[in-house]
Amino acid sequence: MTPDQLAEIGDYVLDLLDGPERAAFEARLASDPALAAAVSRVQQQFQALDDTATPQPASPAVWQSIERALDAPPLATATVIPLRRRLPQAAWLGLMAASVAVALGVGYFTGASTGTARQPLMVAVLLNESDNGPGAIVEAYADDTVRLLPLENFVVPEGQVMQVWTLPDADTGPVSLGTLTDRGAMTLAGPDLPLPATGQLYEITLEPAPGSPTGRPTGPILVKGFAKPPAI
Amino acid sequence: MLLLMPDAPDTNALLIRIAQGDKPALADLFALESARLIGIALRIVRRRDLAEEVVQETFVAAWRKADQFDPAQGHGRAWLTTIARNRALNLLRDGSRMEYHDADVLADMGDRLGDAMAAFESLADRDALKHCLNLLDEPRRRAILLCYVTGLNHGEAAATMNAPLGTVKAWIRRGTIALQECLS
Repeated sequence: MTPDQLAEIGDYVLDLLDGPERAAFEARLASDPALAAAVSRVQQQFQALDDTATPQPASPAVWQSIERALDAPPLATATVIPLRRRLPQAAWLGLMAASVAVALGVGYFTGASTGTARQPLMVAVLLNESDNGPGAIVEAYADDTVRLLPLENFVVPEGQVMQVWTLPDADTGPVSLGTLTDRGAMTLAGPDLPLPATGQLYEITLEPAPGSPTGRPTGPILVKGFAKPPAI
Repeated sequence: MLLLMPDAPDTNALLIRIAQGDKPALADLFALESARLIGIALRIVRRRDLAEEVVQETFVAAWRKADQFDPAQGHGRAWLTTIARNRALNLLRDGSRMEYHDADVLADMGDRLGDAMAAFESLADRDALKHCLNLLDEPRRRAILLCYVTGLNHGEAAATMNAPLGTVKAWIRRGTIALQECLS
């Protein structure tokens, strides 16, 4: 390992990589077993520090909320966006890379031939909150529309919807781009916003139907990620 | 303090049962691990209610994703700890939920440096990580511990340590390189 590689592993284990850097590093982890083994070794050594935390008994409400969450409708009766079955992590990453390549390739090709390509200004890979696996791709266009491509079967309990958000800047705060209630609603016409910028946050939360009552995210975050412009 | 250290195979066996939809196994795992995970999350999110939220989400995620846990790839305890750490770090970075925008505000929330150093002092003397952290210069050791134990980023660590950002980045870079060379 070179010093640069060791420094990057260190930054990953200390959670110091920013969104796009982290996603790129995790894509490499999935395809490089030696790197994955090195990271896992360092992570395990650092977990000795986690074991020094003073245990704090959970209040009874915690287990009760877990039980309530488990009783949410099972997969069969929930609204599911059935883009594909659950795949192993490595296959997801391959699929994600292929999807991005295809999307960009088509945009580039059309642009070259007609000059009227509908090419996204920004693309964001939204990562799963729990394991940082890729969960969805957002393509943001200049006309405020957003195309969403889920990479996972999201389970939406009855009476709830998935709501898509972006954070144009800290002063504006999170802005809703729309909700996903059925499998057809994949392109969302968002409100009039400044053009999406590099590093802009996109996320999907679970909200009570027909959408967040406060106009701000209130429910758990399913996936989130940061925008980057396509390289072509 | 004597920490109860459950055998790794127990956690692994519970996760295998959980993957098969065995709810009592999840309750057992909760009894075994929830207090430890709240302690870990609390050092990062600094609020009891948020630490409990982290742990609640961790066990729901464990229930839904237990089939992705591969005992051949490592211990269930480490798998669960990683989920909880990621949840806590995401909550800390979630500007829409918490007033954590400002590095100074964040640095002021509780004695993070004290917690980070206490974690280091509590490591067993025979622990390789303690030995290798001991070989680092004090500022490098502190910067690394602040980031790992309490979840700070470069800017927040710089505010906490009252040092320039570039200096703190260099401490962490050189420190993590030296640490891995020592540990390997």
